[in-house]
Amino acid sequence: MENLLDIRNLKTYFNVRGAVLKAVDDVSLTIKAGQTLGLVGESACGKSVTAASIMGLIPMPPGWIAGGEIFFDGIDILKLPEFRMRKIRGKKISMIFQEPMTSLNPVFTVGDQVAEVIRLHEKLSGREVRGRVIESFRLVGIPAPESRVNDYPHQMSGGMRQRVMIAMALACYPKLMIADEPTTALDVTIQAQILELMNKLKAETGASILFITHDLGVIAEMAQKVVVMYAGKVMEAADVNDLFGDPKHPYTIGLLNSIPVLGKGKKQKRLSTIAGVVPSLFRLPEGCLFGERCTVAQADCRRIEPSMTDLGNGHIVCCHQFN
Amino acid sequence: MNEQAGSATSFWARMRNPEDRHPFFDQIEKLFKNKTGLAGLIIITVFAAAAVFAPVISPHDPIENALYDQLIPPVWEEGGATKNLLGTDDLGRDILSRLIYGARVSLTIGVVSVGLALTLGTLLGALAGYYKGWLDNLIMRFMDIILAFPHILLAIVIVAYLGPGLRNAMMAIGIINIPRFARIVRASVMDEFGKDYVTAARAVGAKDSRVIFNAILPNCLAPIIVQASLGFGAAILDAAGLSFLGLGAQPPIPEWGAMIAEGRAMILRAWWVMTFPGIAILLGVLGFNLLGDGLRDALDPRLRD
Repeated sequence: MENLLDIRNLKTYFNVRGAVLKAVDDVSLTIKAGQTLGLVGESACGKSVTAASIMGLIPMPPGWIAGGEIFFDGIDILKLPEFRMRKIRGKKISMIFQEPMTSLNPVFTVGDQVAEVIRLHEKLSGREVRGRVIESFRLVGIPAPESRVNDYPHQMSGGMRQRVMIAMALACYPKLMIADEPTTALDVTIQAQILELMNKLKAETGASILFITHDLGVIAEMAQKVVVMYAGKVMEAADVNDLFGDPKHPYTIGLLNSIPVLGKGKKQKRLSTIAGVVPSLFRLPEGCLFGERCTVAQADCRRIEPSMTDLGNGHIVCCHQFN
Repeated sequence: MNEQAGSATSFWARMRNPEDRHPFFDQIEKLFKNKTGLAGLIIITVFAAAAVFAPVISPHDPIENALYDQLIPPVWEEGGATKNLLGTDDLGRDILSRLIYGARVSLTIGVVSVGLALTLGTLLGALAGYYKGWLDNLIMRFMDIILAFPHILLAIVIVAYLGPGLRNAMMAIGIINIPRFARIVRASVMDEFGKDYVTAARAVGAKDSRVIFNAILPNCLAPIIVQASLGFGAAILDAAGLSFLGLGAQPPIPEWGAMIAEGRAMILRAWWVMTFPGIAILLGVLGFNLLGDGLRDALDPRLRD
């Protein structure tokens, strides 16, 4: 199958108070058409910067793309001029944000905001646009769409607003949707509804999804492929079954062990954690970035940076154990 | 009949239910509940009505001389006449009529100079706040230079360069007020810039100009409206100052500041000639300032309960 998105050795750096901060360093990943790729990692590991790089929304300055290519549909979108990139944003690649409370403009009705996306990319009459908006509201399961389109964001609940955001993202039938922690701000029942909705819509429209989250449970439910990031680098990438069934990288193993297990008596164990904290991007350790916290680290891990090893079946790991 | 009644009821029913009502009506209600804001609104409404209906309500022509009626005192003074309620000036012109027509002049000054300052100031402030960097520095340092001059002195310099006259005075007042708007708009735009909906607007493929004017600026309206209202009062005051110095409205235009200038020579003989225009300026500026404060209370979300 053809790769819809192919990121090769992406490097997105920021200049912060005179120091160079490598927010995304040498990240490669691919998404096939119709596939959901889960991008996991702790806070500030470069997940959102990767998404912003794809969208071309890195604030420059202070940020810049220091290297790499992002092929979307066979075209390197990093080389596209701004006016052509604008035609891709919202139309072919769309984005769902984390905070439905703040990502809608408070002074316009939700219907207006979805209509804006359609008007920007397609030449349709006012009535046709309105029809499309109502249709998209129905698609994402907003009850009474004919009257809800006239609501302002503050009149809606968080779950409803996130549905509006999804309607906005779907309005032009994009090929790729980037969902940046779309359910983190919602409570669990709404979260389940939104995830189910996204899976249903993906099946209907055939869109690919880049799903960014720090919640491994959500990944297991959504993704076919998983990429684990740590401090701006890819640690491990694999099919979802391989990653959960046979994790290789000590960091991935640590993450999976940190998921609380429900149980009584003997089954209940003390919740295990990964010792230490994420290193500051200003003072990255020598050698393996995870070396300081790794339980199986050798002397070499503190000196030499490990490289990517392909274990077959698309399972890639960045650890000295497998070099 | 029934249907009409039905739709009317539903509108008022919606107005009564705070959940269904457009937030705009909450703010109007809040302004009406604020006593000083309401007072300002009433003063401005009276002045605006006087300006609009000047030919209908003014008892005399504001410019025509009546040399037999020179310096008649107001009606309650000895020698006053009901024909000229607030007396006449040294050319026999009715003071009340001139004040009523003066409201026209003053409101025009307010609209034109605030309009100029608002348009340019908002544009410059939005560009500075959105693009930041060297453009921000360039625009805001230029604004700082304008602000470094004493306000009225700069207006005098501009009028001296352009030539005296009401139109040039309005332009000068507009120009000196640009920085006030630019600063406020820049701060609001910077404040809004970091919010997710701005990134979302860019993520759907909107151009910068569309993001600025369609997404961000509507969210900055509250401080702009407040500043415009306060700016109206300031503009009227500045115009009166320029006219008093002979650089603004030229005779025989019935401008309040010019009327004070004309009457100052005879303050000991005929106090009414310059006192009433002074009171008109006072009330007009006070009205806009009270309205501006009231609007700030009604629109500023941080002061909301």
